[in-house]
Amino acid sequence: MKFNLDFALSVVPTILTGLFTTLWITVAACLGAAVLGFTFEILRRSNRWLGYVMRFLIDVIRSTPVLVQLYFLYFVMPFYGVTLSAVVVGVVGLSVYYSGYLAEVFKGGIDSVDTGQFEAGKALGLRRRDVVWSIIAPQMLRNVVAPMGNYFVSALKATPYLAVIAVPEMLGIALELGANSFRYAEPMIAVGIIFLILAVGINQLVRMLEKRMLASSKR
Amino acid sequence: MKPVQNSTAPAVKITGLNKSYGSFRALQDIDLSVATNERIVICGPSGSGKSTLIRCVNQLETHDSGTIEVNGNVLGKKTPKMYTLRRDIGMVFQHFNLFPHLTVLENCTLALRKARDMTREQANEIARHYLARVRIPEQQDKYPGQLSGGQQQRVAIARALCMSPKVMLFDEPTSALDPEMIKEVLEVMTDLARDGMTMLCVTHEMGFARTVADRVIFMDAGRIVEQADPETFFTAPSHPRARQFLSQLL
Repeated sequence: MKFNLDFALSVVPTILTGLFTTLWITVAACLGAAVLGFTFEILRRSNRWLGYVMRFLIDVIRSTPVLVQLYFLYFVMPFYGVTLSAVVVGVVGLSVYYSGYLAEVFKGGIDSVDTGQFEAGKALGLRRRDVVWSIIAPQMLRNVVAPMGNYFVSALKATPYLAVIAVPEMLGIALELGANSFRYAEPMIAVGIIFLILAVGINQLVRMLEKRMLASSKR
Repeated sequence: MKPVQNSTAPAVKITGLNKSYGSFRALQDIDLSVATNERIVICGPSGSGKSTLIRCVNQLETHDSGTIEVNGNVLGKKTPKMYTLRRDIGMVFQHFNLFPHLTVLENCTLALRKARDMTREQANEIARHYLARVRIPEQQDKYPGQLSGGQQQRVAIARALCMSPKVMLFDEPTSALDPEMIKEVLEVMTDLARDGMTMLCVTHEMGFARTVADRVIFMDAGRIVEQADPETFFTAPSHPRARQFLSQLL
């Protein structure tokens, strides 16, 4: 079977109907992962016992495959009375999966802020949350933009996993096109190219952001 | 040990203070009472526990045993709302520890707005007042990285003063400065001492100790081994370790 350019071009509009789903799930998952990851890391540092619990949780999240986590949320949780729609599982699943990695990114980011900054905030009589939000977080942000961007691209590329639970994202649509036409080469190549363009775009955006932050930290 | 000569309640009262890092005893049976308006200079060889001692006063370090009372409040690991008590204890660090992502003015106003619940306008007014007092009102919109070390340390002093602390702690405030910048910082500290601020200064600036200190405390191996008025301390130190230390300094 030869590659058919006309067929490849003809499937693109159909695949792009999933673009919006792919994008909003990626954005929602990244936001969720960032919020969860930051919360995990702050809790991990708050006291010793909670620290052990959070460390364990973060390690479990990072040490199990994303597909296992997705299947667990979608097929196992209903046995315990928690039934979530495929899209919700997609967002929650990817948020949780990447929160483990982002917690590690934030750990490195916070560690790289000088301890004198914590002490100065404390000595001024600031509450812990004010030290975290007004002093540590802004300085940490500069250190975590690049690794965070990598995980955001990774999250984008993980959305095709959601095809297994029938979320109407781009790979799922491409698979359906393949099944209906018995031609997989064209839809797969089209999907691959669309992801490539998106990933390169996000990378560029992150690089710009990083440059801007580096410039502002040099003043 | 000499009793403190002041009739009012002490600003800082430390009794039987002990602290260890593992098997290393950083502080051993420290007794120290600092009267309101008293200016104390703490000196001694490195590793003698000077910094640890003043860091216990605002509980950046927690002590193992003994009591610390500051402004009438007993401090310790279990003190509730320790952060509110720290608002009345100013601290200046060796490495300034200014917030690099905030302007000079914002460095000074952050705690006023977050901890004293002031509006930006109120906080700015207070900050400008103290920046003028440390003689750098014109730098308020710059970032710490744009200032010299001496200017940064003066901002750090202004930042602490903005909270109107009852006690000021100085942890080797001039040790990280070039010689020509030490003077400008010491001048600001001398002004502060003249205005009657209660001060605990860890410093090796003996000229400063001589002119402003009411009492010089000499520490060695986690203990206070000598305390006296500066004149007595510098001319006739009684402890051999203090004599040796002074002979190396002068």
